[in-house]
Formats: sequence, C-alpha cells, structure tokens
Amino acid sequence: MSDLQPRKDLLDIESLSLEEIEYVLNNAVPFKQLFQRSVKKVPTLRGKTVLNLFYEPSTRTSSSFEVAASRLSADVTNFAVGSSSVVKGESLLDTIETLQAMRSDYIVIRHKGAGVPGIVAKHTNASVLNAGDGYHAHPTQALLDAMTFREVCPDYAGKKVVIVGDILHSRVARSTSTLFHKLGIEVGVLGPGSLIPEGRHDFMQRLASWDDVFDWGPDAVYLLRVQLERQEGQFFPGIAEYHKMYGLNSGRLSQMRERGTWLMHPGPVNRGVEVTDEAMGYEKSLISTQVENGIAVRMAVLHWLKPETQQD
Amino acid sequence: MERLFKNASIARADSPELEKADVLVGDDGVIKEVGKDIAGDAVSDCAGCVLVPGMFDLHVHAREPGAEHKETLATCADAALNGGITGLVLMPDTSPPIDTGNLVKSLQDLVFEASPIPMLVAGCLTKRREGEKLAGFSGMANRGVVMLTDSDRTVPCPDLLRRCMEYARDFHLVVTSHCDTPALTKAGAVNEGRVSYQLGLPGIPAISQEIAIDRDIRVAQHTGAKLHLQQISTAHALRAISDAKATGTNVTCEVSPFHLLLSEDDIEDYNTAYKLDPPLRLPTDRDALLKGLLDDTVDAIATNHAPHTEFEKAADFASAPFGVAGLETAVLSLYDRFIKNGVFGWDLLIRKYSVAPREIVGQRPVAIQEGEKANFFVFDPEGETKVDAGYLKTKSHVSPFLGKALAGAIRETVLG
Amino acid sequence: MSTTSEITTEEILTPSGIEEKVAVLADGITNRCGDDDVAFVGVFTRGVTLARRVAEVLKKRGKEYPVGTLDISLYRDDFDRNGPDFPRLESSDIPFAIDGTRAILFDEVIFTGRTIRAALDGLMDYGRPRKIELAVLVDRGHRELPVQPDYVGQTIPTASNQYIQVRFQEDDGKEGVFLVTEFDHE
Repeated sequence: MSDLQPRKDLLDIESLSLEEIEYVLNNAVPFKQLFQRSVKKVPTLRGKTVLNLFYEPSTRTSSSFEVAASRLSADVTNFAVGSSSVVKGESLLDTIETLQAMRSDYIVIRHKGAGVPGIVAKHTNASVLNAGDGYHAHPTQALLDAMTFREVCPDYAGKKVVIVGDILHSRVARSTSTLFHKLGIEVGVLGPGSLIPEGRHDFMQRLASWDDVFDWGPDAVYLLRVQLERQEGQFFPGIAEYHKMYGLNSGRLSQMRERGTWLMHPGPVNRGVEVTDEAMGYEKSLISTQVENGIAVRMAVLHWLKPETQQD
Repeated sequence: MERLFKNASIARADSPELEKADVLVGDDGVIKEVGKDIAGDAVSDCAGCVLVPGMFDLHVHAREPGAEHKETLATCADAALNGGITGLVLMPDTSPPIDTGNLVKSLQDLVFEASPIPMLVAGCLTKRREGEKLAGFSGMANRGVVMLTDSDRTVPCPDLLRRCMEYARDFHLVVTSHCDTPALTKAGAVNEGRVSYQLGLPGIPAISQEIAIDRDIRVAQHTGAKLHLQQISTAHALRAISDAKATGTNVTCEVSPFHLLLSEDDIEDYNTAYKLDPPLRLPTDRDALLKGLLDDTVDAIATNHAPHTEFEKAADFASAPFGVAGLETAVLSLYDRFIKNGVFGWDLLIRKYSVAPREIVGQRPVAIQEGEKANFFVFDPEGETKVDAGYLKTKSHVSPFLGKALAGAIRETVLG
Repeated sequence: MSTTSEITTEEILTPSGIEEKVAVLADGITNRCGDDDVAFVGVFTRGVTLARRVAEVLKKRGKEYPVGTLDISLYRDDFDRNGPDFPRLESSDIPFAIDGTRAILFDEVIFTGRTIRAALDGLMDYGRPRKIELAVLVDRGHRELPVQPDYVGQTIPTASNQYIQVRFQEDDGKEGVFLVTEFDHE
C-alpha cells in the first residue's frame, strides 16, 4: 500500500519525500521507453492544458516541458512573456489572476524572483511546476540528473558526485545537490572561493582543486554553466583563468577517462570555458542523456501532480 | 470631564514594581491625584490593568506627503495611539523630502491638522537626500527639526558626512544614520548566510551595516557631533557601539522590536512581511541585541514603522519593498515575549521606549504623576490581541505578526 | 445510518480448472490461427501470465509465439477520477514488430470493455497489426463498450454486487478463480 499523498505542485526538492522521489524516478523509466516507439505519444492528459510561462528566456527547458506535455497529449500554450504586459510592470497578483482565468491545468513557470512559483501555486488551482526561480530551485533538473546518474550507477548510494563552478548563483546546484544528498550520494564542490558561499549546505564538501577532486574520487563530475555576463571580473578575473583553474581541460579529461568518471552538465555548454571541445565527445558524457531524461522526468511529473482544476 | 481610573497598577521607569493606585484625571487633562481610595464620577475600573506612560517612537515613516496610499499622518496617529504610542519622529524621506525650513513648516502644519499626538520632524542631511550637497540646516533648525538624517540612504561620501556633522554640531542637532553600505548590500533581500543560500535570495552581509557603523562612529568621534544609529542588527555592531560609548563618544542607538524578537530562521514561505531593512539576522545576533538592551548598550526601541500596501508587498521577495508596519505591535509583541515571561519589566520598556527616545530628541519624558498631563495607556495583561484588520488602524496590514494572537491588550490611550 | 457489509467468496475454478480453461484457449487459437503470424500481447499483470501460460501449452504442441506485455495505465479513460491513487507504471515490452501480425490481446477477465479499449489504443501505438483478437480467461458480462472476446475460457454471469477474482501463483502466490459477493445490510 502506498503512503503517497496527492501533491498539487512541484516547487522544490526539499519538500519531497524519498517515496515521492522514487515514485517519479521509477515512473520516468517507462515514459522514456515510449521514445523508442514510432508513436511516442500517449493519450493520458488528453484535454488538459499546460501553460508554459517563462519570464527568463530558456529555449531548452521550455521546449523540454513542451515536448513532455505534447507526448502526454496535453495542449500546450506558450505564454509569450516578452510581448505580454508582464514586462510592463504588471504585478504578480494581476498576472496570477489572468492565469487563473485561463483555467490551465498545469502551469510551468520560470522567474527570476525566488519563491515566485510558490506564490503562483498558492493563488491558483492549477498544478505549478517550478522550472527555475532565481537562485532557489530547479526541481525537474534535479530529478533528471538523478535519473541519469541512477541509470549508470544503479547502486548509487554512497557514490560521489563533484559539482564544479558557481555554487552561489546556481539553482541547479542547490536542487541537484539536495536530491543527490537525499539519495545518499556524496556531494563535493569545486570552484573559486567567491562563488562557493559559506551558507551552503553542510553536506557540500569543498574541494580545493582538480587534484583534490581526483584524490576524492568522484563517480561523476557535474559541470555548471559559467554565467559569463554576470561573473567575469566580478567573481573571478577572466575566462582564461577560470578555464585554467576550474575548466575541464584535456589533462583532466584524460584523468577522468582513466578512472571511468561520468560527465554531466545542465547545458547549454560554454565551450572553451567550463569544458574544452574535446570533452564534448567524451564517451562517458551523459549530457545528451540528461536532455532525453529531462523529457521523461517531466512527463512523469505531469502524470504525478494532481491539479485542483477538476473540482470547480 | 473628569475621569477616574480605579484600582490600577502604575508602571514607572525607575522601578520594576507596579504601584497600586487610583488615578484621577481632571477635565483639563492634567492628573489631579494619584493615590488610594479616590472617589469620583466617570470611573473606569482598572483592576488587573497596568497604566503605562505613553511610548515615543524615534523612527516612523508616515508617508505623507507623497505616498498617502501607504499611510497618512492621520492613519499613522490612529495607529500610534492604538499601540500605546503618544509621540514620534517623522522620517524626512517623503515626496518631496523634507530638506528646507519651509518644508518643515508645511509638514508641521499638516501634523497640526491631522494628529492629536506630537509628531516631530526630522530633516534631511543632504538636498533631496541625494548625498551630494548639504541641506538647509539653519532654516530647518529654526523650524524645530529634532534630528537630521537621509533616512535609509547612508551619506555615501565620508567627507560630506564629516561636513554634515561639523555643521550640525553648531545647531546641537543629532545626526541620525541608518547605517548601510550600498556597495555591499546591492540588491540583497535577506541576511547573507545559510538562509539566503537556501532561499536562493541575494544576501545582505552583516558587514554592510557594521562597516557603516564603524565609519559613522569614527566621523562622529572626529567631529564631536551627536550621532544616533538606527536599527542595529548584529552583535558586532553592538560591540562597536559599546566600545565607542566606553571612550566617551556621543552616540546613541536603537533596535526594533522585530530584531529583538525574530531572526532569519523565522522567515517562512517567502513571506515579504519578514523583509526588513536591515534584514533579520542570526539567532545569536537577536540574542545579543536583547542583551544589549538589558545592559544599556542599546539606548532606545524604535519600530521603523514603514507601511506599504499589501499589493506592493505581494510582489516576490526580492522585488518587494523593505519594511512593515510596526507601531501597533511594538508594545504588545514585547509584552508577549519578554515582560509576560519575566525577561524584563515594564520599567525597562518605559526607559527604552518612552524616556530615552524623548531625551534623544530633547523632549521631556512623561510620567504618571500629579500635575502632569495625562499621557498613558491602559494595558490589560489578561487580554489578548489578534493582529488583524479588526485591530489595525494603519493602512498597511503587513506584519510578521499578522493573523497571530499576542498576549495583552491596550484598552485605551489617555491623552491630556 | 450505518451499513455493514458481508463478503462471501466462492471458488469457481480450482487450479486444475484453470489449467483446463487455458487448454481451451490454446485449442481455440490452434483451430483458428493455423499458420498465421501470431503475436501474443498480455495486459499487465495477469493478462501477461495468461498469455505466457497459453504460449507454454502451444509450445508443447510445436507452435512458438512471442509474448509481449502492455501497461495500459497511460491509456485509461479514468485518469481524472483515480483520486489519490498513484499508478506505478510498468514498462510495456513488445520486443518484436507487430506490424502485419495477427495480434492476440490477453486479459484475465473482461467486464465493461474499457480496459480492452485502452489496450487497443496502446497496442496500435506500437504498430499496425493485420488483425487484433482478444482472449480472456473469464467473461463476466456487463459490457459498456462494443468489445467482445474471440476466445473465452469460461463465461460466468455476475450480478452487480459480484465480481470475479483471478489469482495466479506467479502474481499472487495462490491459484484459483473466485466469485466474490458483497451484501449490504442496513
């Protein structure tokens, strides 16, 4: 008998029980198998509507949600933020009222303000899926990362993953590390001191250099995207120095190859910054698998959440 | 009309003990008699209640003129009286900012029309609070401003601050600083640390306030000006103030009830009612502030009553404005947590929230004694106050205490 | 008003009875399919067991048919109504091409026909069989859709307060077909 309780929204990883995590990750597997068929679509969410509301541009994540929703036969509307009044200073509450009136069953939202998906969730019957809020959370990214890592390391408990890059400004680092920690995976972090905050999770073990990383012996290296426009000169002196200190160069890549270390990255990749071109062809790169699993996980999440739109 | 408050307990600044007495207020508003078994008409039975001298808040944004949708002088006065506060200082960050003698006079006229309680006026340090040129100190001094401050904008240039202090010194005006280093605060929304990391919000480091305090104290020491520091939030800042006092620096400071009662750990669910300037800090900071209040490092309690509309505060945490309404929950929340539990007595609250703040701006303290004008509130320790729309008189129903019940109730505020 | 309910269970088929009915299904398929290119698809979970058992019998007779599995959770028409129920999805596994085959769907019981309707949708998303037929161990009647089985082990008429429980050793740890009746007393 299942202890799962109906859940309306997916806002973060912290609030998920281990059972819920297992449920979604296990259900994602059959969804992924659908992609092998010539007909990749199932009729599960026929007649349901999914609203994609991206206040920050992200072709990858919004497309992934769109594909996931389409494969469940839901109707997808992309709310074009750039051309709507949201950029003209329309307040959050006004926007929510508009969304509520549209009677979508699912709202996928990305916003620069941490906590915004939670506010929207509180004011709407639709299921809200957080597709990234500020530096706070990106739960479907974490779930797809976990699915990907579990595929290559089925006995994942006690395994090690090092996250490399900007921990301070990364919602991916926050959510993925939290989920890995919940699954019993050890998490190390590597990056410039200016981007590794003191207030980070206690379980994030700081590693000082790539040498330290290899001594620690991670099963996967998870590179974060460097936000060049935001950080160069402010948090580290320049791209060349970052690449030299923290980038995945060919020397480090060959050490990974020797040890059979997996490579992960949330995309899109800055070639020549956090990775060299060479690393993109690495045989143990999971980057494309992450993209594919992203669709499966998002289908599993849409299938799992229970909107309250049915009642009224 | 004469009024007799029977069987009351009277709270005083100089004793933790409450005095059982009746209080007779004459029809001229002056206390005629404080004593036992007084007879009279219009009796209010105050058995079990405490009569407390009216509080005085050094730090209030009444929003008029310019932002009357948030608060007006009239609603602010109603809120103050509702919270047992019988006098306050208006911050000059209105629109227009109060930076000339004429504007001081205009605001005083508005206060005269709108408010039954004294609302003293603070003037700007720099023109339009822009931090570039000195405002017209002498004109404002002649009109009776009680302090000079650019409110929540710290004067950025140390040289300009120095000249402000040197100039203010001649008018015996206290220079008041909100203490913030904008280059460190940036777009921060909460204390930088564990909570800012977990919420994914930009942080405001403790050093943002501490560096500004260190600087302002040094400039005050150098110039000999009188300095008042607003809204102290960290243990380190408190130590710096304590050290400065020990070496004879003319400095006073205030803390808010929120910073005495809450820490960053209390921020729940991105509730913008917890978005304060300075931000709520660590539990250890909160405890240090209480200790500072008890050992007199902290001179005064002041709310930083900063009303915004619910609509404005309904924005996401990072975008929402700083500040909440404070006047109506200050006494109640401090009673609920501290006085009721014996952490400190009414005497301390009176010293910190009635006597000292009046002294800092050169006002005579009030007390419940014969010959004084009535200026007190009737507090029922057995009562309970639900902080909601039925209770609040401020226009801004935004508070960390909203929806909560606080022990005690202010039955009425009596003014002669 | 309180109602108490009483449940009675009557064994309709014993393990050997089931074996007999499996043989009946195998006979029917042998008679009608001849040398056709036949593929079995079981509806998860007990339909799969039934399909495997029939295939086993036919294998002994020298006819070997592939068996695929189909989880129809995603094709159900009552997705909204399952309330706090969380289907644990299984991987459908049809490791052979079904295009052009004579596909036989297996389920342990046919009742309203809705499960089979969903299974037909699911199956056709895997390809285009030449023909689709349906084999069930028990037909209990009460159809809500125009779906009829082609091969039936046994027909058991039921009342509205009755249902059929099929239990297989592999899935349930016990074997038998039971008629369950619920009586409500006020």
